[in-house]
Amino acid sequence: MNATHLPTQPSGHAATYPSKRPQEISIQGFRISTQKLPILKADPIEEMTKKLGITPPEMIFGDNYVMIEHEKSGWGINFNAFDALDKVDKTGQSMLQVAYSKEWQSSREKTHEGIKEVVKPFDWSYSTDYKGTLSPSAKPFENTEKPIPIQLLMRPDPILFFDEVVLYEDELADNGIAMLSCKIRVMPGRLLLLTRFFMRLDNVLIRLRDTRVYVDFETREVIREYQSKECEYEKVRQILASTRDDIPALMRDANRLSEVLPVVEKHSERIVLDA
Amino acid sequence: MSDLDRAIEQLRACRLIPESQVRELCYKARELLIEEGNVVSVDAPVTICGDIHGQFHDLMELFRVGGDVPDTNYLFMGDFVDRGFYSLESFLLLLCLKVRYPDRITLIRGNHESRQITTVYGFYDECIRKYGSANVWRYCCEVFDYLALGAIVLGASSELEPTGSSMNDTTQSTMPIDDGELETEVLNSHGEVTSTSYRPRFRPSSVASNDSRNISPPRDISAASGSTGTPTRTGVPGTGASADGNGSATTSRTGAVLCVHGGLSPLIDSVDKIRLIDRKQEVPHEGAMCDLLWSDPDEIEGWGLSPRGAGFLFGGDIVKQFNHLNGLSLVARAHQLVMEGYKEMFDGGIVTVWSAPNYCYRCGNVAAILELGEDTSNGGTIARSNGEYGRSNGVLGEGNTVVSPGRRYRVFEAAAQDTRGMPAKKPVADYFL
Repeated sequence: MNATHLPTQPSGHAATYPSKRPQEISIQGFRISTQKLPILKADPIEEMTKKLGITPPEMIFGDNYVMIEHEKSGWGINFNAFDALDKVDKTGQSMLQVAYSKEWQSSREKTHEGIKEVVKPFDWSYSTDYKGTLSPSAKPFENTEKPIPIQLLMRPDPILFFDEVVLYEDELADNGIAMLSCKIRVMPGRLLLLTRFFMRLDNVLIRLRDTRVYVDFETREVIREYQSKECEYEKVRQILASTRDDIPALMRDANRLSEVLPVVEKHSERIVLDA
Repeated sequence: MSDLDRAIEQLRACRLIPESQVRELCYKARELLIEEGNVVSVDAPVTICGDIHGQFHDLMELFRVGGDVPDTNYLFMGDFVDRGFYSLESFLLLLCLKVRYPDRITLIRGNHESRQITTVYGFYDECIRKYGSANVWRYCCEVFDYLALGAIVLGASSELEPTGSSMNDTTQSTMPIDDGELETEVLNSHGEVTSTSYRPRFRPSSVASNDSRNISPPRDISAASGSTGTPTRTGVPGTGASADGNGSATTSRTGAVLCVHGGLSPLIDSVDKIRLIDRKQEVPHEGAMCDLLWSDPDEIEGWGLSPRGAGFLFGGDIVKQFNHLNGLSLVARAHQLVMEGYKEMFDGGIVTVWSAPNYCYRCGNVAAILELGEDTSNGGTIARSNGEYGRSNGVLGEGNTVVSPGRRYRVFEAAAQDTRGMPAKKPVADYFL
């Protein structure tokens, strides 16, 4: 992103960034597009806060998206920050606490009995099981046992289009990281999209939630696979301790962590689009 | 040229200095910092900066926009390291400047100036990568323990000298309201005014006798102060005209400005209580010192617990009360990313200043620094209002509220990619599964 060369205008949002048009590619009746813009400014953040009912993450790329559309059938799926955040628990029921929370709170009990109210409790780890937003006219998916054909995706077919788009990120007040990002690659016969939620709460928990969308352009078959993995931080650290690698670096590498985290939930759906 | 000057040269070029020299530098810095109180007193004019986070090239851009040390008097509110790729170069340069010009640069501690945090967020790894051992990291952490926890800015002017005419004449609201004084001004990195705000003049007496000496650092100061107001306005509510012992319009009536990295603490009701903390230690997980480096303002009433289970949030009433009790007009803090580079809250009682543009090289945000001008109207006498001597401030009549200082924000963007010595970050196609 060579965002940084244009002079800043105080007014418009788009004006502060190189107006990077959405990138797109059309292939065999499918249109794939992505957009990457800077984090939201104060006003749009306020608006989003109102609509969501929770404080959005520190880095909120509210204008970013990845979209796949099939022109003939009107089917489409897109991934955006607002819809993903709308699926975060807003009640505080699944709320985690940072590692030193107990220590911190016990030290407070005597001195500050007055301050007990947790401000707007919600799942501040921004964990989401977001699987994308279907276009209004899209036919729904059906459950399937059919896996995504990994073999076909391992072939070194030329990549015609590639992008990586961050939707949101939060540093959990320096207690780790939560990040939702999408990667997409388009080859001549198929595409793969991976939307990954990665959350590491230091000394507490590591969580990974992957949504993969596979499209075969020839057969117009779409497979969507959701997989949730998580494990306590200390257990992961112990597993990794047997390797000779740099542990802190591994703890930041979602790909490597994915190899060791146990699956807690997995399901697949498919749909064949009308010609 | 002394070794120190050579080290500064070298670091400015983003080249590291030898380990032995780092050790010596850190030793000297500690000797210097140990003499500073927990709350450093700084006289205006001063330029207040927020998080840097190892974005060395953007720190150079900050100096280009704000003026160089020692020409400009700087106050950095912590978080020098972690996240960016050049924490070492950034922190060591700031430290060299501190040792070389101790009275022209103030460094206070951020929550990232800690052993625990730097091992997770990059500084430790960077030290290992660039020096091959943890020695330099250890020297730096020892310096962290001696950094002050806050600063009090005294003698700031309530009114800004207008910047020279904006180069771009499309800016809005540049016309002063009748008899208004320039309260805030926002400039882009080219020194062009992009917005301004005025407040009604404090006192009804004539203001034509303005001393037009420069009130603030360098550049673009036009001598003409444009304020030839008529003596009709009665000023802000609660500021009786009688309060004034002195014919000048710009009598020092500006409260002090408290600068901390994070925010307030329920354990701290006066600036003096900050002075009592034993600060020479790793940042604790709880207590007043922790709060000062970690807490955040929020749109709530009173104090609240962060949903994360550790850390406080504080509302506008808390800020108002704290400022009032301590004769402060403003709390300046950093710690939170804001897209516009700065964000004022609670009727200007607190401001967040963020100085890392395009944070983490991907957020696309702009950064800002805050300039406070010097009040030259009182012959250099500074109204003490730092909580130490109460608020027995002659110029403030009974029931008067202190007026916030004039605030000039210089907004800047990330350094151009080609000065960074690394290619623009472009996603590299990979066969992910």
